[in-house]
Amino acid sequence: MTHSHVWDFHLDRRRWLRIGAASAATAWLPSIVGAQSAPQNCAIPIPRNHEPSNGGSCPYPIPWLDKNGNHNQPAGPNVELSSIYHFKGQLGRCSGFHGMGTDNKGNRLAWGTPTTDYSYMAGEYWAARQAHRAVFAHT
Amino acid sequence: MPSDGLTISTDGKTTTLQMTNVPIIDQPRWPAMDAETIPAFLDFKVVFKSTDEPVMYDDASRQYRFQGFKAAAQLEATVRVPSIDFTFKTDSLDTSKCDFAVMGTEVNGKYYEAGKG
Repeated sequence: MTHSHVWDFHLDRRRWLRIGAASAATAWLPSIVGAQSAPQNCAIPIPRNHEPSNGGSCPYPIPWLDKNGNHNQPAGPNVELSSIYHFKGQLGRCSGFHGMGTDNKGNRLAWGTPTTDYSYMAGEYWAARQAHRAVFAHT
Repeated sequence: MPSDGLTISTDGKTTTLQMTNVPIIDQPRWPAMDAETIPAFLDFKVVFKSTDEPVMYDDASRQYRFQGFKAAAQLEATVRVPSIDFTFKTDSLDTSKCDFAVMGTEVNGKYYEAGKG
């Protein structure tokens, strides 16, 4: 495989990895580590009958990072590793994966970039003036 | 979503994150504003293994604290784009490498001050 092939494929893989990131495959995993799944729709509800409005139950993003997580800040020492503000719990984060693989035409291709980034978060977050428990995956 | 998507070993030193058929999008012309998207699917398995080297990242000005250990992480995945008949499968988990990985506990935001101890 030539270097250009590798580079071309890296571009493709970067596209792929953006996929995962851009799709915010922030996933809700129910019933693990004592967590419960959060409602699918966490948008801010419109109060009825003069009820108070406390916001939606969506996790609050890190104020100085983009709403979709830490896509513009690869994991590393002394950076905020969480994708959620007002969070406490378990967190694992890794970035800079690289390896080899094969496509369905049998081509051997390199994959991975410094931003090939995966994480899990399991614990409690604060939103809508109450604590919620959930497990998240970020690809 | 499988209920066993995240598995943490009893000693807390190994965590496995595994999901299949995660709906994703391929967006070749991202970040163009009008970049079209193509439905795709992702299967992946990531295994974190803790080392004995502790780390703590604490920033009072930004109200976050991470305490844990450096880790090794490995990944295997398969991507499928049915509409263009494309699949890509990485080699087995043990052949991948990761430049940076940590695992531990995090407190931030409103939990930051209360977590001091």
